[in-house]
Amino acid sequence: MNNAQTNPKSQTGKAFTSKTLFSRETSVSVNIEADPSIVWALLTHASDVPRWNSTVVSMKGEIKEGGAIELKSTLDEKRVFKLKVKEFVPEKRLVWGDSMGSRVYTLDKNAGGVLFTMSEKIGGPLFPLFAKMIPSFDESFEKFAADLKKEAETIQGSKK
Amino acid sequence: MTIDKLTPEFETFQGELKSFILRMTASVQDAEDIVQETYIKAHAKLNTFRGESSLKTWVFSIASNLARDLLRAKKRWPENVTDICREEVLGNRQFFQEALHIRETSPQGNFEIKEHIAFCFTCVSRSLPLEQQLALLLKEAYGFSVKETAQILDQTDAMVKYYLHTSRSKMIDIFDHRCSLINKQGICHQCTELNGIFNPKQKAQEELVKIEMAKDAENKSKEELFDLRMKILQELDPFESGAAELQLHHLEHNRQVMERYLEEKG
Repeated sequence: MNNAQTNPKSQTGKAFTSKTLFSRETSVSVNIEADPSIVWALLTHASDVPRWNSTVVSMKGEIKEGGAIELKSTLDEKRVFKLKVKEFVPEKRLVWGDSMGSRVYTLDKNAGGVLFTMSEKIGGPLFPLFAKMIPSFDESFEKFAADLKKEAETIQGSKK
Repeated sequence: MTIDKLTPEFETFQGELKSFILRMTASVQDAEDIVQETYIKAHAKLNTFRGESSLKTWVFSIASNLARDLLRAKKRWPENVTDICREEVLGNRQFFQEALHIRETSPQGNFEIKEHIAFCFTCVSRSLPLEQQLALLLKEAYGFSVKETAQILDQTDAMVKYYLHTSRSKMIDIFDHRCSLINKQGICHQCTELNGIFNPKQKAQEELVKIEMAKDAENKSKEELFDLRMKILQELDPFESGAAELQLHHLEHNRQVMERYLEEKG
């Protein structure tokens, strides 16, 4: 179980970060009033992600079991993150990452729609050397969750 | 539903079906083949039609599956399809000779800007992912509800809403950047350019005021302008209009250019 699920404060779309000497984990969680299939579709159609997600500059590749993606984030627009999809359980769980860490997305269906949780843990033996160079994810995570909620709820409520 | 009732009912929407498949495939030959195959399949499987949807919805689902089978293996067209095809056509004397011959001799050889707007949509919508193109056409151009579109595509209502929202957003964005009829900074003027070639004595501006989308471009939102574009598609039958032969000739040209272009790109 990740921090977002154990920390009720973070279920409001506020990011929460915990640190140890060798790792850092950021989580955000928010309730989205939309069908899980809409949230899942938004998360997994790579070429469409930059349209609704203000934290993503570009995304190439296929988000599927074993797929590879190339991501440019607003956190560092000059860098291309080459990531592998490690887990792909439709409408439930998506994990991608590299040797430094993994980003975990979970969807938990509830009465009002779905509880979306995103967490990323980075770390390793060399982490203390680089820790200060890695920017905080908090603001980016909050924007991501807010953008996803807004887009999914717009689609859910659309009459078109 | 009995076999003897299938044919007359099929005939009531056969024109719409053929138009829908043409706008999916951009090929007259494929449209005719798929409509024929759809009828044969509907005839053969009529005993499985339970009346849970209208016959029209059921038949469109057969046709959509056939279109999917045909298009799944093919690459999608790029957003700037009309630029690529324009470059090709400028060096193709035979195209203009054939087109001018159609213009002069065919009762369906008129050039109308409105018809070209629908033609342009057919080409550009081939840049959407297949499921999005299907959903957008079914709902926005052929008037099926979200529920009916979901039945036709064998998807949930939620997924159809996702496809519609995403495809509309993409198409609105493409036309906003490209179409000079709705945005003065738009980079594509092909409809007025071709109007100058085929109707040299006619002033394009006088034609444009007859088109609501162009006339009201500055007063309407991007969403409303897209709805007006879709209204043009709803009102035009690409096989029966006064410009049908000329536009279908142009469409076949673009299809062939795209097939070569995508093959060369590998």
